[in-house]
Amino acid sequence: MALTADPDPTRRSAGERLATRQLLRDTVRSQAGRGLLLCLLSCLAAVGTLVLPYAVGRALDALLLHGGTAAAAGWTRFCIALTAGMLVIDVLTGLITGTTDARTALWLRGRLLGHVLDAGPRTTRRFVPGDLVARLVGSAATASTVPTALAGTLAAALVPLGSLALLLWTDIWLGAVFLAGLPLLALLIRTFVRDTGDSADRYQRAQGEIAGHLVEAIGGARTIAAAGTVPRETERILRPLAELSRQGHRMWQVQGRSSSRVVTLVPLLQLAVLAVGGLQLASGALTLGGLLAASRYAVLAAGLGSIVGRLNQLVRGRSATDRLAALLAEPAAVYGTDPLPAGPGTLELRGVTAGGTAGATGGGTALTGIDLTIPGGTSLAVVGRSGEAQSLLAAVAGRLADPDSGDVLLDGVPLRALPRRTLRRAVAYAFARPALLGRTIGDSIGFGRDAADDSVHDADALVTGTLVSEVLVTDAARAACADDFVRRLTEGYRTPPAEAPMSGGELQRLGLARAFAQVRTGRALILDDATSSLDTVTELRVSRALAGRTHWSVPGPGAAPTRLIIAHRAGTAARADRVAWLDQGRIRALGRHEDLWRRADYRAVFATDAPGDAPAAGDGAAAGDGADRGDADDGEADRSG
Amino acid sequence: MAEPGGVRLRAQGLRFLAARRNVLLLLTVWSLLETGQTFLSGYAVARALDRGFLAGRQDVGLGWLALAAVAVVIGAYGTRRSFDALAVLVEDLRDGLVRGVVRQALAAAVARPHLGESAAVSRLTQQVEIARDTSAGLVMAARSFVFTAVGALYGMFSLAPVLLVVVLPPLAAGLGLFLATLYPLSRRQAAFLAADEAVAQDMGTVAAGLRDITACGAEERVASRSGRLLAAEAATSRALARWGTARSAAFGVAAEAPIALLLVAGPWLLRQGVTAGAMVGALTYLTQSLRPALQNLVHGLGAAGARFTVVLRRLTEAPATAQLPRQGQAQPQPQPDPALPAPALELRAVTFAYGDRAEPVVRELDLVVPRGSHLAVVGPSGIGKSTLTGLAAGLLAPRAGLVLVDGESVSATRMDGQSLQRVLIPQEAFVFTGTFRENLAYLLPGTGAVPDPVLMDAAAAVGADGLLRRAGGLDSAVDPAAFSAAERQLLALARCYACPAPLVLLDEATCHLDPVAEARAELAFARRPGTTLVVVAHRISSARRAQRILLMDGTRTVFGSHRELLRLSPLYRDLVGSWSRDDLRPSYPAGPSGDPYGVHPVARTGLAGDRGEIVAHRSVGQIERPRDLRNGGAVGAE
Repeated sequence: MALTADPDPTRRSAGERLATRQLLRDTVRSQAGRGLLLCLLSCLAAVGTLVLPYAVGRALDALLLHGGTAAAAGWTRFCIALTAGMLVIDVLTGLITGTTDARTALWLRGRLLGHVLDAGPRTTRRFVPGDLVARLVGSAATASTVPTALAGTLAAALVPLGSLALLLWTDIWLGAVFLAGLPLLALLIRTFVRDTGDSADRYQRAQGEIAGHLVEAIGGARTIAAAGTVPRETERILRPLAELSRQGHRMWQVQGRSSSRVVTLVPLLQLAVLAVGGLQLASGALTLGGLLAASRYAVLAAGLGSIVGRLNQLVRGRSATDRLAALLAEPAAVYGTDPLPAGPGTLELRGVTAGGTAGATGGGTALTGIDLTIPGGTSLAVVGRSGEAQSLLAAVAGRLADPDSGDVLLDGVPLRALPRRTLRRAVAYAFARPALLGRTIGDSIGFGRDAADDSVHDADALVTGTLVSEVLVTDAARAACADDFVRRLTEGYRTPPAEAPMSGGELQRLGLARAFAQVRTGRALILDDATSSLDTVTELRVSRALAGRTHWSVPGPGAAPTRLIIAHRAGTAARADRVAWLDQGRIRALGRHEDLWRRADYRAVFATDAPGDAPAAGDGAAAGDGADRGDADDGEADRSG
Repeated sequence: MAEPGGVRLRAQGLRFLAARRNVLLLLTVWSLLETGQTFLSGYAVARALDRGFLAGRQDVGLGWLALAAVAVVIGAYGTRRSFDALAVLVEDLRDGLVRGVVRQALAAAVARPHLGESAAVSRLTQQVEIARDTSAGLVMAARSFVFTAVGALYGMFSLAPVLLVVVLPPLAAGLGLFLATLYPLSRRQAAFLAADEAVAQDMGTVAAGLRDITACGAEERVASRSGRLLAAEAATSRALARWGTARSAAFGVAAEAPIALLLVAGPWLLRQGVTAGAMVGALTYLTQSLRPALQNLVHGLGAAGARFTVVLRRLTEAPATAQLPRQGQAQPQPQPDPALPAPALELRAVTFAYGDRAEPVVRELDLVVPRGSHLAVVGPSGIGKSTLTGLAAGLLAPRAGLVLVDGESVSATRMDGQSLQRVLIPQEAFVFTGTFRENLAYLLPGTGAVPDPVLMDAAAAVGADGLLRRAGGLDSAVDPAAFSAAERQLLALARCYACPAPLVLLDEATCHLDPVAEARAELAFARRPGTTLVVVAHRISSARRAQRILLMDGTRTVFGSHRELLRLSPLYRDLVGSWSRDDLRPSYPAGPSGDPYGVHPVARTGLAGDRGEIVAHRSVGQIERPRDLRNGGAVGAE
């Protein structure tokens, strides 16, 4: 697509900050009850954690002083009750945290996915697909821990701070030793840990080399297969393995050094507290139980650092929410309710200006004041140098994008005013690089229709069955010259798209077939560079089928659909009824190709003859020696069972 | 793990560990230092109290504590050294996995060259790293628990053996509960990981297909499909949380219950002669040593264990695609006719399809290519031209019929060191990181030194000498990423020329070269003595250079010279018409202002009423039928 991503999607406006707060609030509110319960439980557990060492100490003291008296038994019973209670609370907390996180993730993802689908390609204009997936999967998972993390924060702070207070309360000197020792020891250990790790870098470099060699070899798999050099290749690819192993060992050594230092910190601190406590014990200022409690409090208070970790988790959750809110900031498309009157499929652009908003065209030219009428049943090719906003024009013409100003009308009705279903059943698209979305090839071809179109009302058929009658699918495939190669796939029409290796040209033919199936009862078809990877013979056959609508076993309306064709080849333009020449975002000329061809500047449009969009790798079409050669057999040889 | 995969993994794991007994021994020795530290952490406290602070001898008390501090430092040294042993285990495992992934990916790629490499790269970089990290975590958690527990229990035993009577039962019960839930828990974890991956994959499809979803008006359909996956993931996540409660309970029983029991049994223990210090020591063991070790074990082993198992299973599973796609039975050897020299390439009634249920790409094709001849194969895209070269090279096995090279059944397998009968250059030229010498000598038998002139002459013959000179000679480095597609093809052609194989199959091997360079390369092969050349052509000039042309159209073929085909086949005329343009602008710079019909003949044919002239698929057959060129078989070999 020419509609590439915003180079800086992280830029935030006040509105987006507001959206983040709103989403954060909604997220927390969606789990309000559970969050409160969790907060309560975790605070109870924290209090229990703080009281338990004291109680154990008192029980021990009573035990040692009085033997099996009532006082000792009382404290012991208290300890048992406390331990049991905390066990129950722990189990409950774990359960509620886990289930709440799952609920939040489901809620968040459902909401986001719905919005992204409603916003459609408007979203991918700002977020490249990889980024979008990272947000929907990773960021949503992180953001979904916000309610439970928030609920647990109070308790997380309560334990170490309370322990420190209790340590000071037990004996001021013990607290002093702890407070003095903590930074001292931390500093001591820090000086020992020298950062020795460029090994991680080298490790990754060796790993990258192996991966690089592997990718090379996979790219040359046919050569390797024919030459029978698999063992030699394996040896070559694995040559950096020794270095990888060496650096791997070094990484563990570094980690061993640093973790050996970390594990000394708390025990040494605790021993220091014990030493001072022992002296106090001897002087009678402290009981044995008090000493035991103090040593436990020292350990718990050493968890002060974990508060920072907890806050970090919240910050991470917030910034993840931020990334999600940015998705919601992209407005969803709003559809109308007007009916579409009967008509021939006349498509009309009135004063259309588009791509003016920042980032909408990814540096390409915008459209300015486009006026075009494509009478029903005729075809119009749009040509222009690469970099012109042809794809934007195609997007606007079928409402994949909305113009900044102006209107697009189908048989006199603005597209904005049509309901979604009506619009999509009336106007179909085929793209240079279609995405196949069905479970099978057949399903993918029928993707532009749904159960309602073919009066299948069983909801399960949506997921499992064949949605669209097989006849329709094969008819469409035949019209797009795809039937032959689909039948040669391992499972024919039942082959899942991911398991069907396809060249750019074969993919385009499936995209065309999908559009044919969709437009069978529709009115207009928009081909956005959709035949660029076909060889010229196939392209001819496809365009004949398009103009004729003769390919249906079950006859549809007799007339050909209105066609808007984004073209980069002179031949494609020549076959259209009329040509609109796009230059600097405006229509420079409108007429028949043969008339325009007399103009040298028009011919110059086709000089480079390179498609505006990057062709499929291996197509070789844009390699300089003429785009018309097309995909000339690329890749079909490599298919296998 | 009840399923066969689990059994296989366990057997492999045990073999792996058995082969590294010495490392395990080393790990044990270093970990024993930690055991000593754990032992002293309670024992020294007990003694410091009993014999020091409680006895009024502060120096003795401080001495014991100092001893414990020394033990902490020594234990830390043990921790550090145990990482060395860990490194051997983990890095050996990783080495093995990397080797396996590379072998597997290469085998799969050779069998099915067109399925992408991204999966292999992700296995190599991400999944192997997950296996590396989780395996290290597992070893360390298990190790630390075992050696800490031994130290703590031995410490209690040393202080007063009766302590164990109180502590051991709940500890054992908690551990038992944990072990019992380990398997169901790891199954839930695996289910969750699988559901999570399914969601991620689905989101990937949706994100990449948003434009198409909108264009198809399939928003609701996709939302409901994805919603199901999301709900399934949430369900596995909830199931995991529910099973996690068993884990929390196990931890509570093992870590907390002994403390309470120790207090309950306090009076009895004191009567048994347990000292105050020993009580404190025991409580110290329970809270400071066993508790964290148990926490690591219970929380680490469940999650990391499942992740490790899932990833390891995926990495070590032999994919179903790893065999060459040979189908059908072994080819019968033909009866040689001693009177006639065998042709360089012969196909007898060859039928081929890409799957049992797929329709044939090639049907009952007969073809004879005599030695020293030059054949061009032409046809629309996707029609099976590359399949034909694949069959000739032995990369694909026919469903029926015979493929003979030099009168013998062709075979894809070849030991390194033997000379090749045939060499295939595909469209995607294989150039690898290394020197020019390595790249050019790639197809030559053996690994011995190749004389420079052989390689230089080959480069000069196909027109790659300029490239070689510019780069700085045979020993300069080749960086594939820096090469243009044309340069890569030149290098592959020179490599092929240097190889003495008599049958040369060029499958669009010159498609990125300009027509002049293409002609030079093709002619070099055509003129090489004893060479039989089969070229999948994509330019009419390339086809015209050949003596014979094989036109493929579906399962139908037409065979003849350029003139014959022009006369016989409308499809061939179409191809020639659409191709001519390329050949009419040999060096492109002239630009579009020249003769428009010359530069863009499509415009001309288009205007001249191509709708009447260019005939659709079926019509070709209809036109051909009266001329008796119809059937799927060959129209004739020589």
